[in-house]
Amino acid sequence: MTTLEPTAHRADSPRDPWSQLLEKVGKHQDREAFQSLFQHFGPQIKHYAIANGLPHQAEELVQEVFISIWRRSCLYDWRKAAASTWIFTIARNQRVDLLRKLRRTNKEITVETEDLWQVPGEQEDEPVTSLHRLMSERRIRESLVHLPEEQITVIAKVYMEQKSHQTVAEELDIPLGTVKSRVRLALKKLKVLLQDQKS
Amino acid sequence: MTSHHPDTLSLMEYSAGTLSDPHALCIRLHLDHCPHCRSRVDALDSLGAMIVESQPREPVAAGTFDAILDRIDAEPAPGAIVMPRDPRDALHKLLDTDDLNSLPWKRQLADASVFDISDYFPEQSERVVLQKLTAGGKAPSHTHRGTETTIVLQGAFVDHSGVFNQWDFVVLDQNDTHKPVAVGHDDCISLSILSAPLKLTGTFTRLLNPFIR
Repeated sequence: MTTLEPTAHRADSPRDPWSQLLEKVGKHQDREAFQSLFQHFGPQIKHYAIANGLPHQAEELVQEVFISIWRRSCLYDWRKAAASTWIFTIARNQRVDLLRKLRRTNKEITVETEDLWQVPGEQEDEPVTSLHRLMSERRIRESLVHLPEEQITVIAKVYMEQKSHQTVAEELDIPLGTVKSRVRLALKKLKVLLQDQKS
Repeated sequence: MTSHHPDTLSLMEYSAGTLSDPHALCIRLHLDHCPHCRSRVDALDSLGAMIVESQPREPVAAGTFDAILDRIDAEPAPGAIVMPRDPRDALHKLLDTDDLNSLPWKRQLADASVFDISDYFPEQSERVVLQKLTAGGKAPSHTHRGTETTIVLQGAFVDHSGVFNQWDFVVLDQNDTHKPVAVGHDDCISLSILSAPLKLTGTFTRLLNPFIR
């Protein structure tokens, strides 16, 4: 297992390979790096599209996500988000966008998807928070493997199947309160809830 | 209980991209001004990325990467065209206005006006309204038949549970009867999503219920 040495937090380049590749795309329009990202994340995004009820648009979504990655890569800052996180938010936005377009056949879209759904690190002129981010990510990654199956299931349904907590409750035939308490328990273990002032 | 921030479960639904447009709008407006919640969303976004990573893969069709390269070749290099950024937030862009005070407000009660923007969200069954309480003005005591999600856009209001300042976020339901009063020098403007109409609770104002949709 690799551990983050204290010096890593002051490094001026990302350590994880995907963030390094994404930087190369952003800085030099490196197509080889772009292809490596495609080979790694493409199949994940295709599965994400299918799980989210877009089996017929899965290839289209993969294309749109990578076009968007290419266009925005110059804005990517590894200190603000890991490449996987940044790409996840782009995939989510493109999925939301595609669904909005599919639903509205004749009505004009009045508010842009990007105005509602944020991609980390793009609009904020905040101090660089790489240490905080790396710690929080490592904590989540390490605790995720210890979560009970039933907690992972509800979280995965929310993220992968685009379901509200209400729908997850109906589908698993358990009360909404149970779904919420499972998510809360999970988030507490992942320390995401730790930052709640009161909850 | 009243918090001034969205709860973690709503932020998770935001991060997962499952919220309706108006709910996403309220959260986004709050996030624009709340570093605390932004860092929670960052953590939830990395959770989302890890969940996607933990799932099976689906092979991508053979020609897809080439198709992407073809599209890239047909457009200018990234960064070559810098689009001027519209500094307005999502709501101001949506309403295409620089000043919420100048909207065509409809006065409902002495101190309270509304501007219904539900039509901007055609797929949405809930009502989406901007509400304005003139500085120092009092809204009649009321409760909520469903859930009311509110974000304060300008000024501040106070009720029995505390002071709600600009960019504070609050969710109220049928258990919350309140009587908001606008405090400070500005009119208090808020954006609310109502899953059901308000219900006035005062003895006299109750008679007005049929008129307040």
